[in-house]
Amino acid sequence: MIASADPVISMADVRAWYGDSQVLFGAALDLYQGEVVGLVGRNGAGKTTILRAIMGLLPRQCGSIRLWGRCASGMPAYDRVRLGIGYCPEERAIFASLTVAENLQLPPSIRGVDTPHDEIVALFPNLARRWRHLGGQLSGGEQQMLAIARILRAGARTLLLDEPTEGLAPIIVRQIEDALIELKRRGYTVLLVEQNLDFVLHLADRVVAVDDGAIVENLSTRSDQDVRNRLAGHLAL
Amino acid sequence: MFETVLPAIWPYERAMIDLILGYLTIGVVNGSFYALLSLGLAVIFGQLNVLNMAHGAFYMMGAFVAWAAARYLGLTYLVTLALAPLCVAGVGIVLERVLLRRTYGLDPLYGFMLTFGCSLVIQGAFQSRFGSTGLPFAAPDWLSGGFELGFLFFPTYRLWVVGVALCACGLVWLFVNRTRAGVILRASSENAAITAALGIRVPRVFAVTFALGAGLAGLAGVLAGPIYQVSPLMGADILLVVFAIIVIGGMGSIGGTIASSYGLAIIESFTQALVPQASSLVIFVLMCVVLLLRPQGLFGIATIRGHEFPAARLPCVSSNEGATGVTKLRSALGPLLAAAAVLALPTIFYPFYLMKMFCLAMFAASFNFLIGFAGLVSFGQAAMFGTAAYLTAYAAKEWLLAPELSICVGVGAAIVLGLAMGALAIRRRGIYQAMITLAIAQMAYFLYVQSPFTHGEDGIQSVPRGLLFGLIDLRDDMNVYWVCASAMFAVFFGLRRLLSSPFGMLVVAIRDNERRAVSLGYDVKRYQLAAFGVASFCAGLAGSLSAIVFQLATLSGVHWGLSGEAVLMALIGSIGTLSGPLVGAAVLVTMQQFLAPFGAWVQIIQGVVFVVCVLVFRDGLVVRAQIALSAIRRRMTGLSLAAMKQATARSL
Repeated sequence: MIASADPVISMADVRAWYGDSQVLFGAALDLYQGEVVGLVGRNGAGKTTILRAIMGLLPRQCGSIRLWGRCASGMPAYDRVRLGIGYCPEERAIFASLTVAENLQLPPSIRGVDTPHDEIVALFPNLARRWRHLGGQLSGGEQQMLAIARILRAGARTLLLDEPTEGLAPIIVRQIEDALIELKRRGYTVLLVEQNLDFVLHLADRVVAVDDGAIVENLSTRSDQDVRNRLAGHLAL
Repeated sequence: MFETVLPAIWPYERAMIDLILGYLTIGVVNGSFYALLSLGLAVIFGQLNVLNMAHGAFYMMGAFVAWAAARYLGLTYLVTLALAPLCVAGVGIVLERVLLRRTYGLDPLYGFMLTFGCSLVIQGAFQSRFGSTGLPFAAPDWLSGGFELGFLFFPTYRLWVVGVALCACGLVWLFVNRTRAGVILRASSENAAITAALGIRVPRVFAVTFALGAGLAGLAGVLAGPIYQVSPLMGADILLVVFAIIVIGGMGSIGGTIASSYGLAIIESFTQALVPQASSLVIFVLMCVVLLLRPQGLFGIATIRGHEFPAARLPCVSSNEGATGVTKLRSALGPLLAAAAVLALPTIFYPFYLMKMFCLAMFAASFNFLIGFAGLVSFGQAAMFGTAAYLTAYAAKEWLLAPELSICVGVGAAIVLGLAMGALAIRRRGIYQAMITLAIAQMAYFLYVQSPFTHGEDGIQSVPRGLLFGLIDLRDDMNVYWVCASAMFAVFFGLRRLLSSPFGMLVVAIRDNERRAVSLGYDVKRYQLAAFGVASFCAGLAGSLSAIVFQLATLSGVHWGLSGEAVLMALIGSIGTLSGPLVGAAVLVTMQQFLAPFGAWVQIIQGVVFVVCVLVFRDGLVVRAQIALSAIRRRMTGLSLAAMKQATARSL
């Protein structure tokens, strides 16, 4: 772990609402440079909402979110992206009417740190064959790869990934795992929402459990069995 | 083979070919305007999900800017051709940044209403400055004259129009499909939130899109200037034709929009040749046919996009079953108070003012019932109002029917028309319903303009009032007042009763969740159609009574401007409340009364009221009053200020 002193993302006492129902009740989380953190929890615990809060995509939220030490309250999503965050939503949100090439062409390159085309092809060789196809014609796995490739293309150094392995075949899961290991090696910071605990324990430096809209556990993954035992209660595994 | 055919053309056939080519030319020229306008509308709609009612005003502004630049600044034609679209685009950006932006989080209907208000303001402003007559705007010398193509004389300017329009369409196509900016445009029209989450400054994209659409309308305006005259109202009617074209084509693709614009314009001009009376109707008729056969439009993709209102605004609908004595007393209190008011009002106000108010209140109630309780959009309620007014007036004057019978004739016709309109409208949803109903109402308008029995601009005048049921002498104004008041009573308490019936509750349930109602086994379309029937009854009764009250039925009763007033009244009063339309009608009639001396300014002020209502007063007077009342009540019962604020926030 290459954690430096200042957190990349720091959220404190974040509360958020969808309409009248409150979803986050004072969530607090620090994410440091270069670490991979798994975010686990039951359905509806607020995992996705935490990612959306970091991106500023919620209709109503309050509390403090700092990105690289800068206060992000009121900052629109596109400006947060320009600080170096990439968000990959659970539904992947590939633009169905755009080709793979156009999907990758879309994000603006930020401060000249965008990942070159060749590196993306090296990371996800499957995409190279599908260059001229429409996003809507891709398989689930290819869509997931494209979604990750898209935020890398924009030059994101901190990735917020929402269930990247959901509904994918084991062989595709392995490919995505390899890509994430490679990104981790290169020093990317990753906040990973996952249901698949094995996948998380394999990749993450730290696991954070969410329950009822707040962080309830913050565990180092050095001892798998210990983590599993501690999480069992929160995940009802 | 050809050598034998060509010389065999006789002069008569030669003339036929000339004629056909001539009408084809007209069609292609009109198609160019339709294409530029519908392309701009479709681009704006695809991106912002706003049906831009100010598009006709943009078109008109384009023509005026070019005219003014040539007249006052002495600029040459080519300069004005570039300048006018840029100016209009600039106005578009201001409108989008300052006003329209505030409606994005809301139902698309608010964007529609806002731009409608803006178009009233812009048109009114130009009308009060330049009058309604057309101003001449000549094409430059180098574009006058024409080509003798041997068989056909083709005016150079028309060829120029077609060329410029096709170039503009081609450039837009290239821009959208072949540039990175186009990629951004397509991405954000598919999913704006995710596009923003990828680092695109979406608000800027929206502004640019709106400017692009407005600029295209401005370009169409400059090009149209020398062909039609430059007048403040030139954009009002063409916009409704363009709506019909968009419904026919569907907004799936740029190519589809352009193709249907040209195709329909050519069909329209051939209809002009064959059946001149039908030429203004043919596009609307085709729209109905397309809706029956292929509801998503020729090039459209079937999408389901409902429209929802914030839940807090929906009125509480409950049946009276098991009501206790106190609540029964309370529900009887309403009619009693209203009856007292009806008795007292004529002592204070002029009866005609009150009767106008009652008629407009019933009319607004019909729009309000559809949008607020049934979740259906109809911006064509004037068609029912006007139909009822015309038929009642005609029956009373020409057939000498008794007033009750002529009212029945009028209301019956309104219900038939309303059911037909509803049957077509419920095939689409949301903002498309708005376009369809507007277009059908416009069709009715053209029909009445051309029918001899309506006497065109004069209308049917001095309609006899007669004896109601052979007893009540309607020549006495006060008697008419009692009839109007009781009709309004019947409508408002009838609607209240209806909404607490199983039918009414189901209509509201369908509004809240159509799919759920379908899965519970209800024939949703039948209930929606019935809701259209109920609304048509209200609008028709309003129209029939207005014909009796004012002894007059005119074109203004079928004009879309009146439909707009229904929307405005419901909005002022509070959409989705029973008493809202009455309050709204009172405000509007009073406003018109006081503003009458200002002439053309009435329209401007009405437009400003519209805009202000949409931006800061969406919940309307009735809901505001309820909030204020409950706040006072809470304060009196000693609840803390914080709890009150919370309640206010929730009910907003």
